[in-house]
Parts: sequence; C-alpha cells; structure tokens
Amino acid sequence: MIAENFDYSAPNTVEEALQLIAKGGKVLAGGMSLVPLMKLRLAAPEHLVDLGRVAALNGITEDKGSIVIGSMTTHHQLESSALLRASCPLLAETASLIGDVQVRNMGTIGGSVAHADPAADYPAALLALEAKVRLVKSSGDRTLAFSDFLIDSFTTALEEGELVREVVVPVETAGTGVSYQKMLQPASGFAIVGVAARIRKTAGKISFARIGVTGLSSCAFRAAAVEKLLEGTSGSEEEIGKAAAVVADGVDANSDIHASSNYRSQMARVYTARAIQAAVSRAA
Amino acid sequence: MATTITKPETLVGKRIRRKEDPRLITGTATYVDDIQMPGMHHACIVRSPHAAARIKGIHVKAALELPGVTAVFTGADTKDVGPVPCGASLPGLRVPHHHILAVDRVYFVGHPVAVVVATDRYIARDAADRIEVDYEVLPAVADPEKAIAAGAPAVHPEWPDNVAFHFHQEGGEVDKAFAEAEVVVKERITSQRLIPTSIETRGVVADWNTGDKSLTIYSSSQIPHLLRTLLAMMLGLPEHHTRVVVPEVGGGFGSKLNVYAEEALMGFVAMKIGKPVKWIESRRENYLCTIHGRGHVDYFELAARKDGTMVGLKLKLIQDLGAYHQLLTPAIPTLSVLMMPGLYRFKNIRADIAGVFTNCVPTDAYRGAGRPEATHGIERMVDILAAELKMDPAEIRLKNFIQPEEFPFSTGTGLIYDSGNYDLPLKKAMEIVDYKGLRKQQNDSRKQGRLMGVGISSYGEICAFGPSPATPAGGWECATVRVDPQGKVTVGTGASPHGQGEETTFAQIAADELGVDLDDVLVVHGDTAVVPYGIGTFGSRGTAVGGPALYYALQKLKEKITKFGAMLLDSESVSYSGGCCTCSKTGKSVTLGEIAGASYRAMKLPEGEAPGLEATYFWEPPNFTFPFGAHVAVTEIDRETGKVKVARYVAVDDCGRIVNPLLVDGQVHGGVAQGLGQALYEQAVYDDSGQLLSGELTDYAIPKATMMPWIESHHTETPSPVNPLGVKGVGEAGTIGCSPALVNSVVDALSPLGVRHIDMPLTPEKIWNLLQGGQQ
Amino acid sequence: MKISGSYQMACSPEQAYALLQDPEALARCMPGCESLDRIGENEYAMKMKMALAAFSGLFEGKVRIADTKPPQSFRLIVEGSGRVGFMKGEGLLNLSAQNGGTEVAYEGDVHVGGTIAAVGQRLLDSTAKVMIKRFFDKLGEGASARA
Repeated sequence: MIAENFDYSAPNTVEEALQLIAKGGKVLAGGMSLVPLMKLRLAAPEHLVDLGRVAALNGITEDKGSIVIGSMTTHHQLESSALLRASCPLLAETASLIGDVQVRNMGTIGGSVAHADPAADYPAALLALEAKVRLVKSSGDRTLAFSDFLIDSFTTALEEGELVREVVVPVETAGTGVSYQKMLQPASGFAIVGVAARIRKTAGKISFARIGVTGLSSCAFRAAAVEKLLEGTSGSEEEIGKAAAVVADGVDANSDIHASSNYRSQMARVYTARAIQAAVSRAA
Repeated sequence: MATTITKPETLVGKRIRRKEDPRLITGTATYVDDIQMPGMHHACIVRSPHAAARIKGIHVKAALELPGVTAVFTGADTKDVGPVPCGASLPGLRVPHHHILAVDRVYFVGHPVAVVVATDRYIARDAADRIEVDYEVLPAVADPEKAIAAGAPAVHPEWPDNVAFHFHQEGGEVDKAFAEAEVVVKERITSQRLIPTSIETRGVVADWNTGDKSLTIYSSSQIPHLLRTLLAMMLGLPEHHTRVVVPEVGGGFGSKLNVYAEEALMGFVAMKIGKPVKWIESRRENYLCTIHGRGHVDYFELAARKDGTMVGLKLKLIQDLGAYHQLLTPAIPTLSVLMMPGLYRFKNIRADIAGVFTNCVPTDAYRGAGRPEATHGIERMVDILAAELKMDPAEIRLKNFIQPEEFPFSTGTGLIYDSGNYDLPLKKAMEIVDYKGLRKQQNDSRKQGRLMGVGISSYGEICAFGPSPATPAGGWECATVRVDPQGKVTVGTGASPHGQGEETTFAQIAADELGVDLDDVLVVHGDTAVVPYGIGTFGSRGTAVGGPALYYALQKLKEKITKFGAMLLDSESVSYSGGCCTCSKTGKSVTLGEIAGASYRAMKLPEGEAPGLEATYFWEPPNFTFPFGAHVAVTEIDRETGKVKVARYVAVDDCGRIVNPLLVDGQVHGGVAQGLGQALYEQAVYDDSGQLLSGELTDYAIPKATMMPWIESHHTETPSPVNPLGVKGVGEAGTIGCSPALVNSVVDALSPLGVRHIDMPLTPEKIWNLLQGGQQ
Repeated sequence: MKISGSYQMACSPEQAYALLQDPEALARCMPGCESLDRIGENEYAMKMKMALAAFSGLFEGKVRIADTKPPQSFRLIVEGSGRVGFMKGEGLLNLSAQNGGTEVAYEGDVHVGGTIAAVGQRLLDSTAKVMIKRFFDKLGEGASARA
C-alpha cells in the first residue's frame, strides 16, 4: 500500500492552482478516492496539486435565491451548515450519509462530483435539485447544468486544465418535502442504490416532483418517468408505489458480488418509494 | 520486623480493568512495525496474480538496478529452505512440498514468487514493480465440490485427483440406529470461507548476528516457541541460537497460530544480507495470503424417533483445504467431527471427511476452528427435525440433553465431556427473553404479515487444547513464578496472549495465591529467551491450560516460602497468607519481601532448600474442557429488502469458573461479533479461476459497531473438574453459539413461507429471493 | 462477468464489418490503445493505457479476431496484463442491417485478475460498459467519416 513517487504542491489561489494543472498536475481534493487508488498503484499521478489551502474554494454562501458551495467544502461542512440545513436540506441530508465520519471530514463536494463514481451519493441529490456546476480554467469560467456535467461512470464534461469551482443549488421553496434514502453496501458504505426526492403539493396534489437515482447503473439519472406519474396524484401509498415501480425501466442495472442487476432494480423501486414517501410526509 | 499486610479481598472473580490497556490506548505499545534497528532493510514480496501457472522466467535485472536495492531472491535461491510445515498428520495424507517461494509453479493468487530487499520500504515497493515474471497460465479450480468432480484441473498434478485425504470416524451402531429410526431429516449445510481480518496484519523483523551466528525473529504470532522450533528446523539452525520475540499483537483469532513462508523467508534474507530486515504485510496481501477460515460443504443426516429422541447422525464433510497445508489445515475438520453430536446424548455417529485441494489460499484455524461448523450443523439439524416433527425447538433440545448426573460423559466421537448442566443456560435464556411471550408475540406479528423469528442455539464446545497425545505438538503449558529481592513477583508464561488479557488474569491468580497487590505482579510472555518453553495461545487454552500451570507453580513456590518463613520465625507452626508468614504461637510475622531478601542473601538456608525464590511447573492437562451455553436471537425480516434486523440477542454462556468477568464479557462480545459476521455479512468470494474478488475491506463486510445488536450477556458457572481452577475457556464460545442462533431465527421467521434452510451469509438478496418464492 | 449490448452504426453491415476488422480503426477506437502491431493472421500485439478518472493502467497483450463469418459475425478476443492486473475479454459480434444502418450486437465474457479484480469488483460492470461505449462511439465517428 505504497504509492509511486510524486511531486506535491499546495497553492493558495485558484490562479496558482490552474497554472499547476495546466502543466499536467493532478488535482487532490479530499483524497478519499484518489489516495487509495494511488496506494494501490491504480493511479500514479506525477504531480499532485493539493487544493486544500485555496480558501477561495471553500465555503457555503447564499446568493440571490441560490446557495453557492465552494468545491473544496467538505461533506462534514455541508452536513453541519446551518444555512444549508435550512435552505437546502436535501443536500445536507445527503452529505450526512456519505461514508463515515472520517471520510466526511476529508472528502469534498468538488472532488466527489469531479470523480463521478457511479455509486456516489451527491449526484442523486444534485440531479433532483437541478443543480449547476461552475467550472474554471485559465481562459475563463463556464456554468453547466449538473445533468450536462455528469456524463458517465468516472466521466464528466471537465476539460483539460479545468477545475470545478462551485456547485450551485437553489434555495428550497418553503413547503418542499425532501429526502435521500440509501441502501448501504455494508462493507464500503457506498450506495447499492440511492434515491433523492423533492416533492411539493398544491391543494393536496403533488404539483412538483424531482427524483434523482444513483448506484443503479453506470451513471446517476433523473427518473423523469417516475416524476410524471407522481404529478397530479395525492401521494397515497398506492400512487407512490405505482410511480416508483417504473424507476428501473429501460435502465441497464449494474451487477456485482453485492447485488445482482435484478435485485438492484427491485431495490431501486423500494428505495424510490421510500424516498418519495418520506418527502411527501415532509411536504407542507 | 513484623509488619502486617492485610489483603482485603480476593481478585479472582472480580471485574478488573486490564493492565494491558494503558499502553495500548496511549500508543506506547510496541508492535512489529514499531521496531527500528540500525541498518534495517525492508522487504517487498512479489506475488502471483494467477491461481495456477507455470513460471517460465523471472527477470530481476531492472529491479537490481534501482538505487537502494540490496538483493532480490527467488525460489531458485530459497528452494533448499525447509518446507512450510504441516503439523497435522492423518492416515494417507497427501502433503505437497510447500517451498517458501514458488519454484516452478504457482498454486494460488498471492503465492510468493520473489522478494526484493532495499534500504527503505518505498524503494522496495518500487523495485517490486520492476520485476517481470513470465507465467504460462493453467486452468484452476476454486470450488471444492468442483475440484472433486470428474475432469477438474489438478491442483497438484503429482496426484491423480484433488483429494488430499479421506477420514472416517464411527461410533455406536449407526446403521442399526438409522434402520430403526422413525424419521430421518437430511440437509446440505455450508460454512463459507471467511477472512480472519486482524486489525494488525502479519509482520516480521529478522535480525541475524553474524558474529554469534544467532537469529532473532520478531513476528506477530500466537506461538513463539513452536515458531522457534520450526523456523530453526526450516533454516537449518541450532535451536539455541534461534530466538523468537512476539511483541504486541493486534489480533490473531487463529490466523497467527501458524508458521508462514514469510517468517522463514525473512530469516533467510537476514542471514544472506547480514542486516536486519523488516516485512510488513499490506491488507491486500493479508486478504490473499493469510489463512482463511472454515470452507465446509456438509451433508448431514439426523435420525430420530417420532417423540423427538435423536438416535443417530451421519456427516459427509467436504473441506476446502486450499492449495497447501499450513500448520493445522487438515486437522481442523477433524475437530468438527469430534463435536458433531453437540450437547445431545445419542452415540451413533458416522463421519466421512474429504479434504480437497483448491487453487486458493489454505484454510486453517479461525476462531472456533472446526467447532462453529459442527455446532452450526447439529443446531440447524435439530431445528429442521423439530420443524418436521412440529415440536418446539427448545422442547426438543431439553429432551435430548445429556443430564448432569451423566458426567463425565463419553461421546460417540471418543471424547469425555468434563462437566455440564445444559438445561441451565437454555432455561435461563428462555426466562430472560420470556420465551412464551415471544412466541405469542410472533403469532400476533404473523397475523399482521410481519416476519419475526426466534432462534435458539444450544452449543457445546471443546477447548483448552489439550492432552498432549491428542495434539500435534504437545498440549501442556508452562509457568515460572519468580519473586525478586524486593518481594515483587514476575510470572513467565508459555501462553502467548494477544488480546486475551492474561497479563491481568494471571496477575489476579498470582496476587490471590501469594497475598500481594495486583500491581506487585508482572506477567511476561512472548519472548523465547525470557519465558520457558510453552505451546502458545489458541483454542481457548490460555487460562484453562496456562492458568493451572501457574497455579501449580504458585503452590510449589508457597511451599518454599513457608519453609523460609518457618526458618526466619524459628517455628514450625507457621502459615502463609495475606502476603505474610505468621507464627500461630507468637503472632510474629515476616513479609514476602523479607523472605525473598533472605532467600537471595542466603545467610541461612532451611534444611534441604537452595537459595533463591522461584518455581516452574509444566502442566499436562488430563482432558480438554467443554464449555457450553445457549444463545437466543430474535430477528425481523424487512419484506421489501430482505434485510435481517436483530431485534434482541441473549447469550447465556457457561465457561466454568470466571476469573475476570470484564474480560469474559469482551470475549463474548467479540465472539458474537465474528459469529454474526459469518451469519449475515462475510464471505471470501473467489471466482472460478481463483481470483479473490472480495479483496479489500470495501468488499468484505466485517461487522462494525453500528451493525451489531446489543448483546445481553449472562452466565452460569459449572466448574470443570479438569483443572484446579475450574476454568473452561471462553475465547471461541461466542462465535460458536452465535451463527446457529441467528440462522435458526431467520429460518423460523420465514418458515410460514415453507423455508427450511438457508446458507450463510444471509444477505438481503438471498432472503429477498426466498421471499419471492425463488431459490436462495 | 458476462457483457452484452448493441450499438447502431451509420453504415452498411459490409462497411461495419470491414471497419471492425481494420487494425487501424481498432487501434484508434480501443480506449487508450497506443499501438497495435500485426504478429500473425488476424492477431495483433497490443499496448494499451486504460484511463478512467484517476485510474490508469498500462496493459500489454494481444488482440485476436476469430471465427470470421463476413459480414454477419466474428469473435474478438482482447487480452492484456500489466502491473494493475490482467484482463481477458472475449466477445461474439453479430452484425445485421437495421434502419438503413447496422446494428452491432455483442455478447461475451470479461475476466479480470490481480489488483483490479480484488479491489475493483463493484466497478467492473460499469467500467466495462463505459469502455465498450467509448469503443463504439469512436468507431461510429469513423463510420460517419467514411460513409
């Protein structure tokens, strides 16, 4: 468990970081994914650029109806932020279910979304939140919808020399019920399936539904078919069941020693129903 | 001169915090990786990525060219080192020659092929990557039933098939019992391969003194003296120039009750390079190359009368041995046979073991070593029989238990159970859980469509190994007690505790016997230069065999103390107690310290006595000991996911006399955790070509605290007549009692659906499939 | 591990077949392929640097084409080994004319060993899918270029 040799820099500003990355440096965020890969020698970057001292990338602030989260903000900061818990409880709840205490103290939201593990928790919530990511490189900034940023397993729209600067989520409308439900793989704590739900009711009927699913297939996705079946219903157990039942339709479910694709698809249905149920009960 | 020390109360039986703990929790303990020596080199081992292959060539030049690399050794260099030993002998056993480094073939993924030695561990690791090995991949077989099927690839081509041995044992009149039986139930029951997962992986530091020509091996081991004897043999060294030191060990659980290739290899390297060398196992190596546990496919047949009286048991046991025999590999399944009848009175038994080679790492002793498999089997069969006869599982057990007046009891497997009162823990457990209330609760919950289960296991276990003729290397234990001129006591034990707490429990025993304070006793172990020869710690024998050795050494010592006391007090009417020798006539007394001082100063000696104050005792146990108990598990199954929730867990264990209840609690908790791990979560998964797929902690789910139920731990105390302390051993009992209680509970929960048996681990997907009406 | 799936190509089955057997096309499309050198009839020596997120591994091995039945089907066998382990993939590819183009259906086995097998278990499925998708995406680009 010894990594290959590498050089190490710890810049203080985004500009310095971008310069180092342009020269071929590999970004080190919390290290919860990269360092184990390096120790197993499945990754051997020659130059690590540690973003841990770039203060500009850390923080949670409110900006005109959105919450802006610096990419180097840790999961622990997200789960314990009073602002986030009040204004975007879905993201705070999702952060609290990642890994374990030690992982949450080190892991960052930027590192997680850039790594794009198919069983990561954030993508389910970020898709349900219709979040945006702000990317930066030497030539300038650009903003992408998270659904455009996330492409496939370990594949994002990040270009060479580009960094995730911020993740932007909306301030949750009052009365929205949210929930993130996750079936844990008991050894690693990763999601066998994870479902994020946001529900709003108007005059007793579901008027707004956003469902994000992770862990089921090679890429997290928004369950649009489930959302359509929910809208207009009263959110009864039966109606939720019917909607949740289609979540895995047409999805090529993963299979591994922990869950077959059939079981995983079934659990996606169960956890989708549970997430919706919890969100509905929390919706005002 | 007369001072009185009053010892207030006895320490044995008290909950006393461990003397080991302060150094462990303040990080001042020394583990193998903490050892630093001038000029120490580091070794990195290159291992086979294939389960079966011929080695066509090993190219080491590129590695040798890396600055800092001192040497590279391959099988060609080490082939004359003695083979990794198998201590077990069985009639007709096929023993493949186990070189410490593969010579022309590799037999399992992880098989060591070369070792790089460098000035630091980073260079060693980098150099290992530069070694190229040409393999000609061969077909492999990883499943024992596939390995004995026709057409299976030969694991060891020198033999016509993959069976290493057949073992047959019989007792009573099995055929008659089965012919006359009114009901026979049959089932295939597996105990899956497990990975022991000690928090500290293996590690070795080897130090060769070129002047003295003496070798010191520091190793994370459970058996310092046996290791010394066997390493000396392997390396062709005189034993008196070989020393083994076991520093702090971070868990063994049986996986360090062994002699590993790497231990001899480091000795070889140190002798070649004339410098100390260190090897620390990575977790990945630990998973691939440290022995695995269990690995049974068992076919049971239980015969009984319609009234629930069991009359006979047949067992066909297929043991997955792995590619080689490690120290006790073939012996472990024979322990299963010994305990197959459990706590029940029937004596008609027949067992056939087929030990099968596979292209996987060898199996060997892991917490329970053969007895969890046996107990799991018989306890599952009893439940299956109960279900068949529509009898309550508690009732059928009580009906068949050996009764207290029948002890000592000769079993159909040739054992003599020492003492027992099997009704006691079961009835106590049933009272604690309110068994009748639970069954009513279960009925009510079934009406609501919920799946609640109540599972019982009544386990018996054989431990405190053991009478020497019945063991591979001797089963006695040794203790030395030494009082220094200050009157402080040092106990040297041949046991080698690695978490069991004998530094505390043996101090309790010595303090009570000698009437001194707990702090005045130091227990040392693990260094073959410091303590006399011992067998080590495994098989729940530390207190049950090491304890009596200590006890008898203390009695010898007290005799001498009393003689010196009599001399100093110039009286024959003396008695030693409370740390003083007192004359009953004058009331005058001398302290242990004064006696010790006098014995070393030797101004005057009692008639026939020599100077000094120490005693050594080697104790040969007349029998094993047989702890027992009852565990009850209440479970509930989530219909939607198949997840098992353990709603309540009650353990009532009888390990004879308890020296320190705090430590016994710890043993039960740990034992239950590992039993629960097997029942619900753990499985070493090999694919068909012998690749270990559950290769890291991210894929092999050992229980974390959040996955454990609250363990309600209770005891009954039925002393053992085997040793003067009355102790039986408890290190493995928790594991043995746990898995059948859990599986019985889940099967009970699912019985309305017609489920009769489920194999471990009871993963949610497995349960869920059964709930859908499918196969497991 | 079993793999199966299908991919649409915007060219005729004959063109698709030729493309799939063309070592230059294969070298361009196999993710991270650095070289593909002919060593025999339908057999090539291969050097591949597979990269996926932070993971990167160098593999050296062989690519073989077998059981050719133009233009319907053939077997593609890829095997490589490196520090991180070894892999062997064998797939049967079936081509059929569909919607003015070609549907390439594949079915096969992927087998891995070494470190990637031991620690990458849960990711093998999704990683294989990503790699295969990349292969066909690149191939599709080539097909459009030629069509």
